Amino acid sequence: MGFVKISATDISTDDQRHNDRSYLGLLDSLQSTDEMTRRWAARDLAAFPQASAALMEQLTQEPDRSVREAIFVSLTQIGDQIAVDGLITCLRSEVVNLRNDAIEAMKLMPDAVAPMMQGLLHDSDPDIRIFAVNILESLRHPKVESWLIDVITTDPHLNVCATALDLLAEVGSQQAIEPLQQLKQKFADEPFVQFAIDIALTRIQGA
Amino acid sequence: MTKQEISLEEFQKFREFFYRKTGIQFDDNKRYFVDKRLIERIEATQSDSFRNYFTTLRFQTSGEELQQLTNLMTVNETYFFREDYQFKCLVESMLPAVCANKKPGTRLRIWSIPSSSGEEPYSIAIYLIEHWPQIADWDVELISSDIDTDILQKARQGVYSPRSVQHVSPLLLDRYFKKQKSGDFQICNDLRDSVEFTRVNLSEVSDTRPYRNFDVIFCRNLLIYFDDLSRRKAAEVFYDALNPGGFVCLGHSESMSRITSLFNVKKFPEAIVYQKPEQK
Repeated sequence: MGFVKISATDISTDDQRHNDRSYLGLLDSLQSTDEMTRRWAARDLAAFPQASAALMEQLTQEPDRSVREAIFVSLTQIGDQIAVDGLITCLRSEVVNLRNDAIEAMKLMPDAVAPMMQGLLHDSDPDIRIFAVNILESLRHPKVESWLIDVITTDPHLNVCATALDLLAEVGSQQAIEPLQQLKQKFADEPFVQFAIDIALTRIQGA
Repeated sequence: MTKQEISLEEFQKFREFFYRKTGIQFDDNKRYFVDKRLIERIEATQSDSFRNYFTTLRFQTSGEELQQLTNLMTVNETYFFREDYQFKCLVESMLPAVCANKKPGTRLRIWSIPSSSGEEPYSIAIYLIEHWPQIADWDVELISSDIDTDILQKARQGVYSPRSVQHVSPLLLDRYFKKQKSGDFQICNDLRDSVEFTRVNLSEVSDTRPYRNFDVIFCRNLLIYFDDLSRRKAAEVFYDALNPGGFVCLGHSESMSRITSLFNVKKFPEAIVYQKPEQK
């Protein structure tokens, strides 16, 4: 016993991927009863841009967390309109994990998500607007600050504005100062908001 | 351009952002270290203020500048027995847990990535021989990978500077290394033969597909250099590469929980590591 060496060409001792790796073969594997087979199919389908609809369909019915994670990563990689629309649908789901994973996936897709952001930030459902601000938290996009300023300027909902305010304290620049001061008037009876605005202003003006 | 200075508020603002993005925390006593590098990048990018630079850092779609800065803020140096509390964790906690679920006579498989010039996989090999007597009862495969073929060649040669082996005791130096005329040290042939070095690009599915059935993966101080999506893809690779119940060890400033929820956090007395859930 002790150290043993195997050939570099034989790293895997047990290749379980016997299924067809063609597009149609992978779609077939995505329906397998074996979760590992579905997971591998989901990962490999990232190489097929036309797979987003099938991946989305599987996502909504997939019971296994690890398979869902693989689907999210593949959808993020494909990043087409079908993927973005599907992820937005997930934001409306009552399943918390699905919703949170969709938010995390969308944070990684700045170019694909940006055109949809205006609509999300003006959605009729305040929860969706809060999720949209959550996406902005890590979205690398030059318009993040102006979107946030738009939220605190136009959104009537306290929790939506408070969520945007938290983020503005971090990313806000001089152009956020006046809208923040106006927000003080809008929620004059909310001590928490007053306190949070003061912190944001101190940070922005000190930086 | 006027000489840049970083105010306390700017330092704090940057520190919070950088921690959230990378998991790397800078205490107040690192102020000089951080300011110096920030100013270097502000000047290199021709930003006229911290504020403009921070905007680039925060919102640049490619994430290229954050990557540049991360490279500057991290010390890219490796040496024998770096973060050796994880090797202690390997022999005292992880391997006992793994072996409890294995049939005697089956193989243990350990993957060390990136190999860099070989300090980590050889450290693991030495640590196992020195501190894990059960190695006499198990076959152990030690595979180490890197994307860089030049560095892999260097790892196979196993020649190290005195600085690289500074944490190796004289006894172990004598036992496992041969001093060369140049003053460098070459790892002994037996240990060189104990590690299989392979080239792998973690972001390439076809590269990583054959890597499976591992019990422990060491991937330390690599993911901090990746963007968010690449980190998630790497986590997927590790998940598929591990046996159920297998472990991933990351660098001290890295956290799998910030990347994915695929793994369970396992708090051993020696270290926090990440475990692939046992089979349902």
